[in-house]
Amino acid sequence: MPEEREITYRAAIIEALREEMRADPRVIVLGEDVGAAGGVFKQTEGLFAEFGTERVIDTPISESGAFGIAVGAAMTGLRPVFEVMFCDFLTLVMDQLVNQAAKVHYMSNGLLSVPLVLRTTMGTGANLGPQHSQSLYAWTAHVPGLKVVVPSTAYDAKGLYRSALRDDNPVLIFEDRLLYNTKSPIPEEPFAVPFGRCDVKRAGSDITIVAVGRMVHAALAAATRLAEHGLDTEVVDPRSLVPLDVEGLVRSVRKTNRVLVVDGGHRQYGAAAEIAATLSEEAFDWLDAPVTRLAAEDVPIPLSRSLEPLVQPNEMRIAEQAQILMGR
Amino acid sequence: MDEVAAAPWDRQGGEIDTDTRVTLFERMLLMRRFEEEVIAVAAAHKYIGRNHLYIGHEATGAAVLAALRPGDVAHTTHRNHGHLIARGADPGKALAEIMGRENGYNRGRGGTWHICSREVGFLSTSAMVGGSVGLAVGAGLAAQRARRRTISVALFGDGALDEGIGYEGLNFASVFNLPVLFMCENNAKTGQRPSSMLAAQSLLDVPRALRIESVLVNGVDVEAVYKTATWAVERIRRTGAPVFIEAKLERWPGSHQLKPELTTGRTNLRMGFDLSRITGEHADWIGQQDPVLRHLRILAEAKVLTEADALAIDRRVDEQMKKARAYAEASPFPNPESAPMGVFA
Repeated sequence: MPEEREITYRAAIIEALREEMRADPRVIVLGEDVGAAGGVFKQTEGLFAEFGTERVIDTPISESGAFGIAVGAAMTGLRPVFEVMFCDFLTLVMDQLVNQAAKVHYMSNGLLSVPLVLRTTMGTGANLGPQHSQSLYAWTAHVPGLKVVVPSTAYDAKGLYRSALRDDNPVLIFEDRLLYNTKSPIPEEPFAVPFGRCDVKRAGSDITIVAVGRMVHAALAAATRLAEHGLDTEVVDPRSLVPLDVEGLVRSVRKTNRVLVVDGGHRQYGAAAEIAATLSEEAFDWLDAPVTRLAAEDVPIPLSRSLEPLVQPNEMRIAEQAQILMGR
Repeated sequence: MDEVAAAPWDRQGGEIDTDTRVTLFERMLLMRRFEEEVIAVAAAHKYIGRNHLYIGHEATGAAVLAALRPGDVAHTTHRNHGHLIARGADPGKALAEIMGRENGYNRGRGGTWHICSREVGFLSTSAMVGGSVGLAVGAGLAAQRARRRTISVALFGDGALDEGIGYEGLNFASVFNLPVLFMCENNAKTGQRPSSMLAAQSLLDVPRALRIESVLVNGVDVEAVYKTATWAVERIRRTGAPVFIEAKLERWPGSHQLKPELTTGRTNLRMGFDLSRITGEHADWIGQQDPVLRHLRILAEAKVLTEADALAIDRRVDEQMKKARAYAEASPFPNPESAPMGVFA
C-alpha cells in the first residue's frame, strides 16, 4: 500500500474545490479577494489561474448584496461557493441567509432550492480583536434550513467540502484560521465525509469530551495530559452541527457516562448549550454527572495577547474541568 | 412626469396592435377582480386578510410581464398577487395559497407574501423590502454565466432603494453587466409619508449614478408602460446590460399596512363610458389614477371596445374568479403532520 501523502487543511479545501469545479461547471466561487489575490489567507489560491474570471468572481465589498446575488444564482442553476472573509461579517449577510436562503425551499414547498456553500473563517488566537475573532456558528445553526459544518482536520475538511458541494441546500462551513497550516494524511482519490456522522478522534472509556473545530485539538492535548493521571478520555468531534449526530454522541456517553462539551464559540445560548441539553435529554439514564460546558467567555474577544487567551478554552482548562467532572 | 414624453419606444414610433390593447385590458381586469375577491374572501374567512393588494398598480404589472418571454424569470415582493396573475398564474391556486390551503401554489407554506410558481417563471417572492433585487441580480448572473438569452426582472417598490441590498444589487448588475430589468413601482403618495426617504431628488438619480440606463414612465398608463418595457426587454436581450424603469403611480386609497379596505368600491366598468357615474370621496383617484378604467376609457374613445364588449369581458373574468374561489374554498388545509417536512431539499 502506497504511503499516504500529508497536505494542509488549506490545501485540502482548495483541492476539494478544484476537483468539484472540474467536475461540475455550475460551481463558481465568489467573494472579496478570492480571485487573483487567492484569498486573504490564501484559501482560494490557484483557482483563479485555472478557472478565470468566469468562475472565480471578485465581488465588490458588498457582502449583503453579493450574497443575495449568490442565493439568486443558486436558485437558477449555479452552485455558488460564497466566501465571507471573517465570520464576524456574517452580520452583513444575515438577512439574505436567514430570510432567503434558509427558507426558499420550505416556503416554495420544494419548488426551489438553494444549493450553495457559504464558507467563512473564525476563531481567536491571532490577536485580531473583537470584530475579527468570533466563532458565530451557533447563530446560523439556530435557523432551520441551514446546514452547519465545522471541520477540525484537513481530512475532514476535504471530505466535508465534497459533501457540501454536492448538497442541494445552503451549507455553511466554518474554518478556523489557525488550522489552515495543520496537516493530515489524505488519500489521492476524492472522497466524501457525510454530514451528521460524528467522528471519535480518540477512543476512551472514562469521560467523553465533545469538542468543536479547533477545540478538538485542545481536547486531544488535554486527553494526553489526563492519561498521565490515569484517565482514559474519549474525544468526539460532531463535524457537522446541523445535522447533529445525536445517536453517535449518545453512543459515546453510554460508554463513559460523563460528558464535557468544549466549544470555541460563546457560552451563552451556544452550540455547547445545545449539545449539552440534547445529551441531557437523550442520554439521561447513562449519565453519572451533569453534562458540563466549557466555552468562550461571554465577553467580546479582546485583542491583547495577555487577555485573548483567557476568554478561550485551552488544553489546561479542559483537563481541569474534566478532572472536576470526574470528582477528582 | 416630464421625462415620460421622451420614452425611447415613442422615439422609435410604432403603435400597439388592437389585440394586445384588449388583452392588456382583460389581464388588468382579472388582476383587479382577483384582489377584490381577496377582500371578499378575507371578510368571509376571519383568519386571513393581511394582504398588500395590487389595486392601482395593474398597468405596470400587466405591461411588464406581457413583455417577457417564456424562460425569463421574475422576483417580486409582498405586493405580488397582481404580478402572478399578470404572468398567467392560476387564480384558483393563488387564492388557495393566500388562504393557506393544500392546493395552493406552495401548499400554504408561503401564503400571500411568498407565492411562488416556477411554471410561470416566478421564483421566490420576498417580503423583505429590497430582497427581490439581490435575488433577481443573482438570476441575471446565472443566466449570463450559462449563456442563456433570458432576462431576469426585479419588481420592487420605491422603498427598496432605501435598503442597502437595493443599492448593492444595482451596483453589482452594472459592474458585471447583467441582464436584469429593475422595475420600480413608485406608489409614493404626495402628502402622505412616502415609502422612500431618499436624499436624492429623483429615484432615478441612484441607478443613473451607477451608469444604469434609466427611464421614467407613467405607471397608470398601461400602453406607455408596455412600450417602455418592450423597449427595455429588447435592449437588455441585445446588450446584456441592465435597465431601470421607474413607474410612477398613485397609491390606491384602500391600501393600508395591516388590512386593506375596498374604499373605492367594486370597480364599475360603466364608469369607463360615463364619467358622471364617478362620485364620492375617492372620485379623484377613480377618475384619474385607476389604470383599469383609464385604459378602458381610451379603448372606448378609440372605439376598440363598446360598453357591451367590456361587460362581456367582465362576465368572463367574473366566471373565472367564481371558479377560482370555489377551487380555493374546496381545498382542504394541509395535514398538520406535514409541517416539519421539506425544510431541506
